[in-house]
Amino acid sequence: MKSKHLKNFYIFLVLLFLFLPIFILVVYSFNSSRLNVTFENFTFDWYLSLMDNVSLLEAFKNTLLIAFVSTTVSVIIGTMGAIAMHRYQFKTKKALDTLLYIPIVIPEIVLGISLLSIFTLTNIELSLITITLAHITFCVPFVVLCVRSTLSSYDDQIELAAMDLGANKFKTLFYITIPSLLPGIASGALLAFSLSLDDVIISYFTAGPGSNTLPLKIFSMIKMGITPEVNALTTIILLFTIIALSLFIIIQIKKNKKG
Amino acid sequence: MKKIKLLVLFILLLGLTGCNQKYENGEVNVFNWSEYIPDSVIRQFEKEYDIKVNYSTYSSNEECLAKVMSSKTGTYDILVPSDYMVDIMLKKDLLEKIDTASLTNFSNLDPNYLNQSYDPNNDYSVPFIAGGVVIAVNKQKIEENITSYNDLLNPKYKDSIVLLDDERVVIGIALKANGYSLNDTNDYALAEAKEFLLELKPNIKLYDSDNPKGSLITEEASIGVIWNAEAALAIGENSNIEIVFPKEGIYKWIDNFVISKGAKNKENALKFINYILNPEVMKRVVTYFPYKNVNQETNKLLSDSYLNNEAMNIPDRIMNNGEFVIDIGENITKYDRLWSEIK
Amino acid sequence: MSKKLPLLIMILPIAFFMVFLVALPCIYVVIISFMEKGIYGGIEYIFTLENYKLILEPLYLKIFANSFFIALVTTIICLLISYPFACFISQKNKTVQTILITLVILPFLTNSLIRIHGLIILLRDGGIINNFLLNINLIDEPIKFMYNQTGTIIGMVYTLLPFMILPLYSNISKLDANLNDAAKDLGANKFKTFLHVTLPQTKYAILAGSIMVFVPTLSYFFVSDLLGGGKTMMIGNVIKNQFLVARNWPFGAALAISIVLFTLIVVIVYRKMGGKMEQLGGVSYEK
Repeated sequence: MKSKHLKNFYIFLVLLFLFLPIFILVVYSFNSSRLNVTFENFTFDWYLSLMDNVSLLEAFKNTLLIAFVSTTVSVIIGTMGAIAMHRYQFKTKKALDTLLYIPIVIPEIVLGISLLSIFTLTNIELSLITITLAHITFCVPFVVLCVRSTLSSYDDQIELAAMDLGANKFKTLFYITIPSLLPGIASGALLAFSLSLDDVIISYFTAGPGSNTLPLKIFSMIKMGITPEVNALTTIILLFTIIALSLFIIIQIKKNKKG
Repeated sequence: MKKIKLLVLFILLLGLTGCNQKYENGEVNVFNWSEYIPDSVIRQFEKEYDIKVNYSTYSSNEECLAKVMSSKTGTYDILVPSDYMVDIMLKKDLLEKIDTASLTNFSNLDPNYLNQSYDPNNDYSVPFIAGGVVIAVNKQKIEENITSYNDLLNPKYKDSIVLLDDERVVIGIALKANGYSLNDTNDYALAEAKEFLLELKPNIKLYDSDNPKGSLITEEASIGVIWNAEAALAIGENSNIEIVFPKEGIYKWIDNFVISKGAKNKENALKFINYILNPEVMKRVVTYFPYKNVNQETNKLLSDSYLNNEAMNIPDRIMNNGEFVIDIGENITKYDRLWSEIK
Repeated sequence: MSKKLPLLIMILPIAFFMVFLVALPCIYVVIISFMEKGIYGGIEYIFTLENYKLILEPLYLKIFANSFFIALVTTIICLLISYPFACFISQKNKTVQTILITLVILPFLTNSLIRIHGLIILLRDGGIINNFLLNINLIDEPIKFMYNQTGTIIGMVYTLLPFMILPLYSNISKLDANLNDAAKDLGANKFKTFLHVTLPQTKYAILAGSIMVFVPTLSYFFVSDLLGGGKTMMIGNVIKNQFLVARNWPFGAALAISIVLFTLIVVIVYRKMGGKMEQLGGVSYEK
């Protein structure tokens, strides 16, 4: 039994390593000192002044916007692509398949400079649009992989059955194919969303004026001496993430119990 | 159902943060140094002129040039390069002519800072602010009197110096320490500079251009070779810190507003520049980021706590004794190399 | 209806992105890497091998060696932390497993820069850990966690740990416990069982996790920027500097191509050994 306690202690230690820095941030978001050095007094001021920090909020808005658009687009084109590659044989399939692995495998910085170079070469202005295009590019492959993993266990026969029963292609797609691929699509969307939210490196190279994202803003703020407003914003984001994840856990546990 | 709820939540969030005002008079894209113009000044400009300011920052002249050159022409309207970078940008034909006659506040500027060698008639650049690289010393930790760059080599200062992460500055002071010019490109001079920097290396705690004052305030570093305003701000937070002007003379600079070639919002850019040259506005800038003010009218408004503070308002004798960095053309590759070697 | 049409509609958008934003940019970077640089930056379209020659100079070889060293140490530390962790949690019941694994994913969903900022508050000379140790008189002067290689490695491990835990966990949790029992019945001790039964079965997860930690380490310049104090030059920092500060794009491109080549070799070896590409995306581990 002693080894069981040791194991639990080990699990605790690893989680502590992962969570201590986050915990510190939450605590310091209530710290009246601006310098993030010692804890002085308890205050809510940073949450209030956060509302006036236009540039920080704008970066946050940009980030959400980019994440939303790039998730939506990459889920749509990724799902279509995955289905097509599963269903049809075509000459360039192998090439496309290889291309899809490039953004996953190569170091992010290489994709970042490649995109910067091509935007420069073609004289495309760096803006919210270029940054969104870049995000779609690195999100799509992950969506394809997720959808594909569900597709591999998907039974084509039900589509035929549906069509036999008189459903046209369109109806079959929306009522049969997509619902049964939903788990894969959903996890692809989740992955794409979180990748886009957190991306530093590729955004760093493809951002232009007025398209600052939250990670980039925080990067420059950390270098310049971060204000506790950032801690406050993180605490709020964290709260939302925890709520969403708790829902996810509850569903998952219920599923486990049923299964 | 849950997913729909989540979606609604996100859209609400977007809506909350997304209630953007519309700006009647368009926008202006400003690309400036980090820590230079306080946020409140920019917001006020937006309100008064109904122009949206897209503000982005860089932390070295080279970064500014690289970003401008890799962006489509006209991506940025206003840039704030230092003296030698104005020269480089002119050679690269990156700048738009500025009609200084149209700037009603241009006459506020101190003539001592006008018509410099890099732009003799101020056809392309408008001086914004000046400053220099100084040494900040925490007197509680460092007993000796530091008067020269060579004093930094003292082995007692192991792991205690913060340096600007800027090759022209770091190599520049190494050259000056050995009695050469900031801009010397002779191999023997650079070899001596390399020697100096290798000897200095164990004493360097970190390189930081964005917030070197931070490590001085928290006392992680006890000596800083940093911009004068950073030193002034550090002194404000930690009274153990003092400023030293090394006897070899300082690295000095003037940063200038320029308008980039093909700028899409030239009119708005001129309005922005003129706004900053307003004595009241400039006063707010230099009280927030206390570099050397070059606006005579503003000097009349500034209090003694600024004017008599040598870290903020660097005395003229020190400025006159300082040296500008100049463009060294292709020889920059020698500097690049040396920089990678000593880092 | 033609059979080609639906295929085209479904495949064209994704093909567009992959061709114009992955294939062409990458080819262009390869081309740049063989070009000369202009005096004030920019690219002169004259063929040269200089950029690759430059990489072979001792100065840059040293930076390469240093980056690989940091990446290797990071990978090993991540593996050593994650393996027992993954084993221990897969011994829990399903509900606890779900909760624990979600806890591992949670930091992954919060901004990594913010987490690094938290790490800085903890680790710096006057930070929480050093203050604590000083107060209980365990140490006389602050331990230098930051502004050196140690700082960079701690930061990398911290940022990339979930990438190692997740593949290992999903593999280990699916292992057949009967095999272990059988080995025990046949008289193997715990260590032997692990070495000959468990370890071989988790081979691919170890490899996939290691690649997923090793490769990003080479390019995460922000970690060495913030925790290394600008002193530990990693390949990622050099590439970033060449592109955004020194304006030597051809050389930066050549550096980028060389780390891509390295990555490709690693991936090919991995596939030759029988590893699956999907595992590298970490996707078969969702849920």
